[in-house]
Amino acid sequence: MFDTALTANDLIFLAKGAGMTLIVTAISVFFGTVLGIVFGVIRYQIGPWWAAPMTFVLDIFRSIPLLIQLVLANAFVTTVLGWRISGFTVACGVLSLYTAAYCAEIVRGGIESVPPTLRRAARSLGMTWGQDMFNIVLPLATRVVLPSWIGLALGVMKDSALVYVVQVVELLKSTQILITRLQEPLFLLMICGLFYFVISFPIARFGGYLEKRWSND
Amino acid sequence: MKSSIFIAGLLTASAAAMPAQADKLDDIIASGTLRCAVVLDFPPMGSRDASNNPIGFDVDYCSDLAAALGVTPEVVETTFPERIPALMSGRVDVAVASTSDTLERAKTVGFSIPYYAFENAVVANEKVEMADWEGMKGKTVGATAGTYEAIWLEDKVKEWGEGEFRPYQSQADVFLALSQGQIDATVATVEVSEANVNSGNFPGIRIVDKAPMVPDYVALITLREEYGLINYMNLFVNQQVRTGRYAELYEKWVGEGVPADLTVSGVYR
Amino acid sequence: MFDYNFRWNQALNSLPQMLEGALVTIEIAVLSMVIGISIAMVLTLFRLSGYRILSAITATWVEVARNTPALFQIYMVHFGLGGFGIHLSPYLSLLIGIAFNNAGYLTENFRGALKAIPETQTRSARSLGMTPLQAFRNVVMPQMLRISFLPMTNQMVWAILMTSLGAVVAMNTDLYGVTSDLNARTFRTFELFAIAAVIFYLITKAVTLSARLIAARLFRY
Repeated sequence: MFDTALTANDLIFLAKGAGMTLIVTAISVFFGTVLGIVFGVIRYQIGPWWAAPMTFVLDIFRSIPLLIQLVLANAFVTTVLGWRISGFTVACGVLSLYTAAYCAEIVRGGIESVPPTLRRAARSLGMTWGQDMFNIVLPLATRVVLPSWIGLALGVMKDSALVYVVQVVELLKSTQILITRLQEPLFLLMICGLFYFVISFPIARFGGYLEKRWSND
Repeated sequence: MKSSIFIAGLLTASAAAMPAQADKLDDIIASGTLRCAVVLDFPPMGSRDASNNPIGFDVDYCSDLAAALGVTPEVVETTFPERIPALMSGRVDVAVASTSDTLERAKTVGFSIPYYAFENAVVANEKVEMADWEGMKGKTVGATAGTYEAIWLEDKVKEWGEGEFRPYQSQADVFLALSQGQIDATVATVEVSEANVNSGNFPGIRIVDKAPMVPDYVALITLREEYGLINYMNLFVNQQVRTGRYAELYEKWVGEGVPADLTVSGVYR
Repeated sequence: MFDYNFRWNQALNSLPQMLEGALVTIEIAVLSMVIGISIAMVLTLFRLSGYRILSAITATWVEVARNTPALFQIYMVHFGLGGFGIHLSPYLSLLIGIAFNNAGYLTENFRGALKAIPETQTRSARSLGMTPLQAFRNVVMPQMLRISFLPMTNQMVWAILMTSLGAVVAMNTDLYGVTSDLNARTFRTFELFAIAAVIFYLITKAVTLSARLIAARLFRY
């Protein structure tokens, strides 16, 4: 069963694909989180009515398949606007906005979970809005949202498999290339799946552990 | 005072409008790189060697074109459905990807004169009963989405009214499905069919018959409005043939038989 | 400003085909949810049964479904099983792939919902003479479904979005497949996919809205 034509070169090729997956995920999660925090805070501060347009736009990112978002963004930016940017940039851009859309909701929920009394107490002690946000809300909200955020980050890693449509050679695409040459679909797909699993499972478990520890059961 | 500002504005505007639009041919030479879209799951025109580097007839043509322009070639792998979108989006400068010169496509991209001609064959799974191309009627067939053969096959299936057509995303997926028996037959170029059957990578497939399509002429493509580059590529293709390079590469990659005649007799070009 | 000739007419002519594809998309999503919920129920019962081997089956299914990409799962169902000689049509491959994914996530949702139902409910039901299965079916399950209604709605929306992955298994009758096919022939990428995006948006909004209406009717005290 283990008689395979896989060479060290091929493993390196797969590793490069895996590296690409991780890079795209890391960049998207980073920018997405930053944007998500900004959007979430804005949404909380200005209330549901005023924030409606922004909510509407962010909602679009959650209601259209990611595949279509990637193809559409790619077609728009390159054919319509005529910019010369790489598929990698388009992929990171789209995934960041996608992450931000979900993250904004998470952040808003996190801020709302902080008891208003605590925040009023902080303000009455003379803290500015910024100090209140940074010293009171941030630690408490992070505790509440961290498990969800970890789930979101892992989701983005799995969704990164879709960036093959904009010519980014990530792990699943690399696996498909090797399958073309070596004709061992099952074996190679197992390796591919194992990689995703090995990265995702421990982190997901850790998130579950945190959730359990920090819940008030 | 106002009129001088007005005149200055007019001059700047006309100065801004004056520089001639550098076309893609100039851009490529200036940038020093020729980015070609090549399909790499299509032996012998494009495939990967043991170190996963691109090799093939199309890859060599890309290198030749780059050498003629005096720049370095950069092979950008695309799948069949992605060739034209990659060109339209500016991701590649030309596509040296065995693109059939259909009139529908010519509405969107600019074709050079043909640089190769394919004959198409029907490849079937060994376990399926099929004597000739008409045996595909009523069976499950597949091809690579967006290719000339795929559109022909899909129209044939519609015409017969029975059977099923499946568009896979890449040539490799088609042959994988064929050898697994998920589709009964496909139509592919004779070169690809022979290469795949002989490679032994796809056990259980055989070539059945020639498909009744006119020879499939393929050309280099670029953006429709780049007349300078299209003219250059036309001359390039012509010179490849008359210097014997075409025959040489045919010998290297395809081997048997005679390189196809790239002209259509009785018509000027 | 735009150096591009929009040809909306060409794209809008294909609207009837795309709407037919939308129907297939909804059909697959609904079927996959029905199958997914059924499997999730069974897996939840496995977990509650107390038998180690059954719990292990549930745990494995859930972890694999939640820790690998859906695209991978669908590709695996078609080409992976194909390597064993099991041939599934693109429609079935997509359906089974999405159902597999749904089942995994739904089982997790059910587990979370069950945690919110006090153990006393089951004990009271048992003390009234019900068998464990009856207790689950009549007392626990309705509450569990009610609590997980919102997550199930989200999962349904996900299922609709996941049908777009059918392209890798040559699925050409759902909305994304039809759009992709048209794109390969006419190259009007932006126009076609913009229309497809709007249709998807309308479908998902319709689903969320009807879910909210159903919840308001069904879960009124």
